Amino acid sequence: MDFKDIKILLCDDSMFARKKLGMFLSSLGIVNISEAADGEEAVVKYKENRPDLVFMDIVMPKLTGIEALKAIKEYDSTAKVVMASSVGTQSHLKQAIVLGAYDFVQKPIDDAQVEKIIRNAMK
Amino acid sequence: MFAQFFGAFLLNNKLVSPETLAQAIDDKKNTRMRLGVLAINAGLMTAEQVEHVNVAQQSVDKRFGDLCVDLGYLTADDVDRLLSEQPTDYLLLGQTLVNNGSLSNAEFEAAISAYKAQYQLSDDDISNNQNDKLSAIVKDFYHFNTAENARIYTEYVTLLFKNLIRFIGDDFTPIESSLAKEAEGQYIVCQKLHGKYTAELAIASPRDEYLAFAERFAKEHFTEVDEYVNEVVGEFLNVNNGLFVVNESNQLGIELSLDPQSYYRDTSVGFTQKAFCIPVAFGFGEVEFFISII
Repeated sequence: MDFKDIKILLCDDSMFARKKLGMFLSSLGIVNISEAADGEEAVVKYKENRPDLVFMDIVMPKLTGIEALKAIKEYDSTAKVVMASSVGTQSHLKQAIVLGAYDFVQKPIDDAQVEKIIRNAMK
Repeated sequence: MFAQFFGAFLLNNKLVSPETLAQAIDDKKNTRMRLGVLAINAGLMTAEQVEHVNVAQQSVDKRFGDLCVDLGYLTADDVDRLLSEQPTDYLLLGQTLVNNGSLSNAEFEAAISAYKAQYQLSDDDISNNQNDKLSAIVKDFYHFNTAENARIYTEYVTLLFKNLIRFIGDDFTPIESSLAKEAEGQYIVCQKLHGKYTAELAIASPRDEYLAFAERFAKEHFTEVDEYVNEVVGEFLNVNNGLFVVNESNQLGIELSLDPQSYYRDTSVGFTQKAFCIPVAFGFGEVEFFISII
């Protein structure tokens, strides 16, 4: 798979956080990027677009990122969901791992780490 | 962070005016350290000896370091060592104030000695950015030792200042805190974290400062405060608070949750218990941070 073919869903209630990560993904040549501003929308957008990779914030209104991860994994057990949050605590990590999260990125997001995760997910 | 608190020390002791300090903070990036200030800071020469060498240099065509060695104030090894050390930020600030005539060498010597004594700092503490010393300065400066939950206030504010330096810039001076029942401001962002304890946290500022703060964090240009600008400031608060929550979890096993941020305009937001109001003077103006631990 090539960067231009990969579909990515960005879920964050912060427009700024989505824009920042989206700009980095665009700079890699990724063009297929969709966005969700809360956990509920994340689940809907996942079902609509079936992205190859999801970046999911944890602290979000309606459904938290953890709840959205659970709903997405129930719908599609092969979903690759990367938790991208400012609250990378041990308990959140454990919860995310138990629910099948693909990886975890601590905010502020390190671009190099994101690129590495995408490359691994494309293998 | 030692530079920011050295600035606050100079300000609180009325050794410089706020305007002079702000200008020096701005100018220090172009400042080159001189041997005299380095030698005074290291305690190898007195201000009087530095002045003596300065006067002597006017009549002899020799470098300052060579003259110090000739006059027996320094050894050649001292000169090499002082010149090879990476200047710390607070020294650059001191050098800038000496260069522009705001402080004499003697005033700098007295100030640096009093600053180090007040916070029991050694040069190693400063050059190694010792975390326990930074926390001790924060605790002492804001008198957190008299507050309930002193540890939490100290850890939170120490992290906040590190993140201000990391994400907004190092051109700021911490101002003395006060206790406040509510945050007042043209623009206010709040976030609550809860678990073993609850923390109510906020950032408040007038419009122009709010825009400038957001511009620094987003590295974008803004002309009006809109939803996006609010979210930029909110994201700074969220990232800072998230890192605090991670530290509490990793270091002490304390699990805390964050609520989404809330935004207010032209109003006041009350705290459950009185909050510490911590004003920070940046080059672009003042921003207030509020912390209330329950």
